[in-house]
Amino acid sequence: MKLNWFTRKGIIYWPVSVIGWVLLIVAVAFAVYRFIAIDMLSHSVSDTLINFVFNLLLIGLVYTIIAWFTEAKPKTGTAES
Amino acid sequence: MKDKDEFLKQMENLKVPDVNPAEHQKTVKMAIMNAERSAVLGVWLIVIPCYFLLCVFMYYYFHVHINWFTAMFTLLASMDKTPGAAFWGPLILVVLPIICIIINALAIVHVQVNKLDVQQPKARERIITIKIKIWNILLILLSLAVVLVFINYVMVLNITVKN
Repeated sequence: MKLNWFTRKGIIYWPVSVIGWVLLIVAVAFAVYRFIAIDMLSHSVSDTLINFVFNLLLIGLVYTIIAWFTEAKPKTGTAES
Repeated sequence: MKDKDEFLKQMENLKVPDVNPAEHQKTVKMAIMNAERSAVLGVWLIVIPCYFLLCVFMYYYFHVHINWFTAMFTLLASMDKTPGAAFWGPLILVVLPIICIIINALAIVHVQVNKLDVQQPKARERIITIKIKIWNILLILLSLAVVLVFINYVMVLNITVKN
């Protein structure tokens, strides 16, 4: 069964189904949660951003991996030669 | 009627051309994975190890001592100390680039096995084709460099510790 949850625009995967949108919202919500958690423990704005960048990259990686496996096929197929 | 019979005879005796697909140079060589998709995933797999390496080079080789780079080392050191999270460091810094190499290699490599002679079934020819896809090749080289840097670091660290 092919899962058509996302479509690719450049290097970013955009949701095209309800489940895709749910995953994007969950990823954004988790990123916000991690930002708040890091901000509570850090001493300055730069400290927060420094620690948040790594978490954001990890969240983006997990989101991309899920989207890669559930990408919708393009309507016009092109054969590689 | 006679002409028709002659025509039919001629058509029956026509020599059919023998096309050997193995000799045909232009074939559709389908790789296992799509090159563009592999490149996109490869970029995301390699961004975190490259970010870490950038912090290392800026801190140790260019002596830019700012909190941004120190925080990266502190984060990875804390991962090693946290029970249950010690595997994240090697996973991110070694396993992800290796996965990037594999998926990009599968996207540009095509292997074809041909039988050279019908009478000699053991005589085979293996043709390996590498497509020139710049982004995939760049990602493979970058991932290979990252993996070699970390393997080199681990080897040097072990030698230093033993001494």
